[in-house]
Amino acid sequence: MTRGQTGRWARFWDRLRRSLTTAWPVVAALAIIVGFQVINPFFLSYQGFITLVYAMSYFLIAACGLTFVIVMGSFDFSVVSVLKLAALLCVLYIDRLGLWVIPAALLVSTGLGVINGLLFARFNVPSFMATLGVSVVVEGVALYLSRGFLHIMYDETFRALATSFIARLPAIFFWGMGVWMISTILAVFTPFGRRVYAIGGNPIGAGLSGINVERYRIYVFALSSFCAGLAGVLYMAQLGGGSMQIGADAAIPLFASVVAGGTALTGGVGGPHRTLFGVIIITWIQAGMLMLALGRDVQMVTFGLIALGMSAATIDRRRMRIVK
Amino acid sequence: MQGLRTHPVILAVVVLAIAFSSLYPERFLTLLNVSTMLKQFVTLTLFALGPSMVVVTGSLDLSFVGIWMLGGILVWLFVPILGTFSILVVLLLGGATGLLIGVLQVKAKVPSFILTLSLLVTYWGLTAKLSGGYPRLVRGYDFVTAPLIPYVPTALLWSIPLILAAVFIMKRTKVGTYLYAIGSNEEGARLAGIDVDRYKILAFTLSGLFTGIGSMILFQHLGGATPVELNLNTVVWPLVAIVLGGTPLVGGSGGPQRTLLGALTFAVVDRGLILSLLHPQAVQLLLGLLLIVAIVVGSRGLKGVAIT
Repeated sequence: MTRGQTGRWARFWDRLRRSLTTAWPVVAALAIIVGFQVINPFFLSYQGFITLVYAMSYFLIAACGLTFVIVMGSFDFSVVSVLKLAALLCVLYIDRLGLWVIPAALLVSTGLGVINGLLFARFNVPSFMATLGVSVVVEGVALYLSRGFLHIMYDETFRALATSFIARLPAIFFWGMGVWMISTILAVFTPFGRRVYAIGGNPIGAGLSGINVERYRIYVFALSSFCAGLAGVLYMAQLGGGSMQIGADAAIPLFASVVAGGTALTGGVGGPHRTLFGVIIITWIQAGMLMLALGRDVQMVTFGLIALGMSAATIDRRRMRIVK
Repeated sequence: MQGLRTHPVILAVVVLAIAFSSLYPERFLTLLNVSTMLKQFVTLTLFALGPSMVVVTGSLDLSFVGIWMLGGILVWLFVPILGTFSILVVLLLGGATGLLIGVLQVKAKVPSFILTLSLLVTYWGLTAKLSGGYPRLVRGYDFVTAPLIPYVPTALLWSIPLILAAVFIMKRTKVGTYLYAIGSNEEGARLAGIDVDRYKILAFTLSGLFTGIGSMILFQHLGGATPVELNLNTVVWPLVAIVLGGTPLVGGSGGPQRTLLGALTFAVVDRGLILSLLHPQAVQLLLGLLLIVAIVVGSRGLKGVAIT
């Protein structure tokens, strides 16, 4: 009885999923653009477009890193915390280190990713819990360093990294697209990418076919945190300051944008090329809601429900007998 | 001796308590401090009791803070209509949330951590929306925490039947046995004829109900109002209590009775560190490291188990 029911559910979901996951991100992205354009004609003007580019670029960089982790079938909760820490390191030490602060911040971020990976791959801590733990520590460090104050970035060279205009578009747009392209090439055309997909598809099978699963897991978590760090550096360059009070709610839109693009939580399916559409959907909904003067509370409800719905819609139920 | 080997945390809590008491007895060994520790113990226990049943089955339930926050605001909304009885809304919310999570997890097969995390953020947004952005104080529930015995928080007395019920369910009933079986080997439990789906839904519902009842007590215990901003620590600390107590995250052993131990340990460490006059943010950091150590220790012996 139960098994029959599960089977029916699984078949139903599967048919829905197969027809929808490929087409829906593109359709949804277009629908959102048209919808908000109708409500607010300012949306697609040059100024409106620049606002959207600013909103989505750093987000895209962080989401590309997270996509690799999710393709591998794991989860990285610490992306937002690492992003914050990298941004904070830049603003705190730019006077002392000059532009060397950027490699320093990236190194710290990558190191945190290696710790995530080690906890997960070496010590067998479930990735969600390991990254949650690291994120609590990172938040603690960030709070300790910032003393809870608002910090302002005065260095113009640093800020030019994101805010100088090339071909009438801010530089951060090219950073975002560059990272997106490199991630796509890395995921689709390199042995590294193939192996990450293989581990996501079946970790035991991947191990048996000669992939050093443990090492690749560490690589991927390092990559995710590196992207988060880069996003943090550019975020700081774009905003020119800020407090460290952006909360845990930022993790949900980030996660939602990866699954909305069609990368399944089960792993092995999707990839950074799809995440672009997810990021467009999420950040443009966010921007559109801001234009309609809908507050953060309504946004949280929306993104919570989107994250829920999209993870349910993309999950590959045939492969999952046991869900924890 | 057997007890010490299976519960190394007993040793740790005794050593820590002795260490703190001998380092600064004038601050640590006061009635006020013991009372504060008990208060924190109650808070952690009431939050962690329900979720620890879910952790036994190998899943996670992070929605407890959401139930408490949204419940508090619903009480404020319903007080003009229902009077004192509006506190029961929290119980209903808890049970309904648990049932919803269980059904979604089992039927739609969304991994529980992401499911409950999304729901937590949704509830948080709803709390902020419904409250209009400010914590809302509700008066009239003072009787819940009216002092009965000096230095013993009344919430502790309320929570005793709740704790006993949780331990009884997990240790003395068929449901408990099945939940442990599901946690240690879900496929095996299925093959043994247990209706795994139904019992998993039951586990989430129980977790929601216990959180609901706990939140009814916590509502007054934590000041008669709930915050509209989520503090990550409120979510993480009860998890630390569960893991420190010795319930492994993959499930199959541990349970509510261990969570009591974890909550006690956490309360001792937290108070000990705060009274050590370290910088408060340094204390925060040390507690984060404690979480990492706890989860590493809690996940030992899992070689060969497929972990994502």
